[in-house]
Amino acid sequence: MLEKALKGNRAYWTWIAMLVIVIVSGLSAWGRQLELGLGVTGMGRDISWGLYIAQFTFLVGVAASAVMVVLPYYLHNQKAFGKTVIVGEFLAVSAALMCMLFILADMGKPQRVLNVLLHPSPHSMVFWDVIVLNGYLLLNLVSGWAMLGAERKGVLPSPWIKALIYLSIPWAFSIHTVTAFLYAGMPGRHLWLTAVLAPRFLASAFAAGTAILILISFILKKSAGYDIGSEARKKLTVLAAYAGVANFFLLGTEFFTAFYSNVPAHEHSLQHLYFGLHGHAAFVPWMWGSLVVGTGSVILLLVPRLRSNTRLLVAASIGLVASIWVDKGIGLVIGGFLPTPLEEIVSYVPTVTELQVTLGIWAIGLLVLTALLKVAIAVKGV
Amino acid sequence: MNQQRREFLKKAGFAALAGLGAATGFNPLLALEKTDTSVFPRKPVEGKVRWGMLIDTRNCTEGCTECSAACHFEHNVPDFSGTKNEVKWIWKSPYEKAFPTSGKQFMSHELEKLEVPTLCNHCAEPPCAKACPTEATFKRWDGIVSMDYHRCIGCRFCMAACPYGSRSFNWQDPRPGIETFSASYPTRERGVVEKCNFCSERLVKGMQPACVEACPGDAITFGDLNDPGSDIRTLLAREVTMQRKPELGTLPSVFYII
Amino acid sequence: MRKKILMFAWTTLALLLGLGLFMQQESGAGTEALPTVSGKSESTGCVYPKEYMKAHHMQVLNEWRHDSVREGDRIHVTPDGREFDKSLNTCLDCHSRNKMFCFMCHQYANVQPTCWNCHLSPMEVTK
Repeated sequence: MLEKALKGNRAYWTWIAMLVIVIVSGLSAWGRQLELGLGVTGMGRDISWGLYIAQFTFLVGVAASAVMVVLPYYLHNQKAFGKTVIVGEFLAVSAALMCMLFILADMGKPQRVLNVLLHPSPHSMVFWDVIVLNGYLLLNLVSGWAMLGAERKGVLPSPWIKALIYLSIPWAFSIHTVTAFLYAGMPGRHLWLTAVLAPRFLASAFAAGTAILILISFILKKSAGYDIGSEARKKLTVLAAYAGVANFFLLGTEFFTAFYSNVPAHEHSLQHLYFGLHGHAAFVPWMWGSLVVGTGSVILLLVPRLRSNTRLLVAASIGLVASIWVDKGIGLVIGGFLPTPLEEIVSYVPTVTELQVTLGIWAIGLLVLTALLKVAIAVKGV
Repeated sequence: MNQQRREFLKKAGFAALAGLGAATGFNPLLALEKTDTSVFPRKPVEGKVRWGMLIDTRNCTEGCTECSAACHFEHNVPDFSGTKNEVKWIWKSPYEKAFPTSGKQFMSHELEKLEVPTLCNHCAEPPCAKACPTEATFKRWDGIVSMDYHRCIGCRFCMAACPYGSRSFNWQDPRPGIETFSASYPTRERGVVEKCNFCSERLVKGMQPACVEACPGDAITFGDLNDPGSDIRTLLAREVTMQRKPELGTLPSVFYII
Repeated sequence: MRKKILMFAWTTLALLLGLGLFMQQESGAGTEALPTVSGKSESTGCVYPKEYMKAHHMQVLNEWRHDSVREGDRIHVTPDGREFDKSLNTCLDCHSRNKMFCFMCHQYANVQPTCWNCHLSPMEVTK
């Protein structure tokens, strides 16, 4: 079926060419990083995780969000999602692949990556993350591809595919919970050391991932004439809206505990992000921008009169994705390192090499997504 | 004797034999033959020794960095100080930064100026070892939280986990940052995490850690925390000591007299 | 006949179980203090015969590294009773006299082990 991705119009091949150019630039930057070390990025002793892990954290959420369409369709027979499920599953594959590439890019010794499997360490959350992420990618790829194959041949799908799909539902929750556990168990990082982190991750994941699905649906409608249907889009909008509400509510609870309890350890990281600490306020505009745009987008998505306007729907979806990207990536991952264990505030600015690698990996993900969706549309027809 | 009884006795006999064999697995004293332990490799007993350090900051001179210099020379620690790629195993930190959770109201003048040596605490419950996905960092039989540089994949999860900021990563090739090479310890390569190792390579030769020997004020006492007769235990019983961030449950092996 | 086979099988199983569990015992009663090593070896021979080392020095080094770093089991005893510290320095004590010792064969065999990225090679350490 992959040959269907090799047939396309001018616009299609222009898009592919653009992606390939970005990928090549990313590869060359990664080569530089392999040669000189991770010092070519903006990371340092105090902020030891940066853009790469921020992207990873955001994308695990996007991958998990496929469950938002898989669960209603397969478990509750919501037929409206008939044309959406495959998009969600392939988005999960592409996002999970990007996650793994970002981890690989972030490692000091990528040639030793198999050590995680050769020396399994069940006490480590990274160990479990590697396993569940790989498993999730395979689950979605195999089940999505097999469903497409069955549809193409005009036969009913084999029963084992259904079993895999049912498995992918709790598995989706597990990948993002394990990723949250990566952060939520660190005793020295008080921005992360909260039980609410896992629920917050899931809420923000479902909000951002669903919003991305809405945007993809518009792109597919415009470029390939593949319309998931207004019913499906309406359902997605409602899902994104309520997930967004949950996300901002949980953020509110974080604020309460931090500032009402007045405990410095709990307070300082959040204070640094939203109000500045000891004169350091570089994050403040980002965090408030994220909050304002995010809550605004959620309101747009909630009000039926507003969300039925296509332009506003697109704007709200973009806004929600951007808001959560800033909140999870910049705010949570980088902000979590500040203040440092020795109470310092240091700055982090990604370098050009780092941005090149990041964009390159995004381009790889988009390339895989494009190819898979091209196959899906060719099989399912518009 | 009837056939059934014979069958029963046979089976009971075998069961008894099996049971005896199984029992020797649980309690060596029941073994039919004693194992000659001298042919086994001489592995140290887990948990018998627990290395610890006591730093008497009253003898710590202001501006003195001998401990740091000795350690960093001995272990070929590169000098990238002042940059984001800094690597350091032991260094002086202001008191209120090293002990941020202790009271800061109306501190004495001395305390306001005090700088204490900060290093890896070799915790008894190390969050870094728990976080490591390859067990490249692990707690040894003698309490030292050790690094296996051959196995480290450079994911820096341990650095995020450490509540004390004790760990450094080799963001670049360390060798250009080393002025004079010491033959007593290898360098590391870029891409791995490193930190204080309680001079395990010196302990094996019966020597004291480099910082202990280098301190001109004899401020550092190093010894076996599990030996009630050791110098460090005697001092701990006599003096009032404190530890960094004890509320986190890491059970550090480094103590301070302030 | 079937009964005899069954009896034989049960007996063997019981003996094997007993033997297996019995042999699982660790040498729990070990050393009193940290095993210390005397330092530079006075030996005139290598830890293993030359032919064995040519073929297996990689495995020996790997095992020594695992034993030293992760088990604390530092003392290697050769079949004829000589003791050595399980360390690269043991090898270098003798073999660093020829500065090209490791590099000669590795160059010929075209292998690039990364030992010298960290360990100070005979060419670097001046004795």
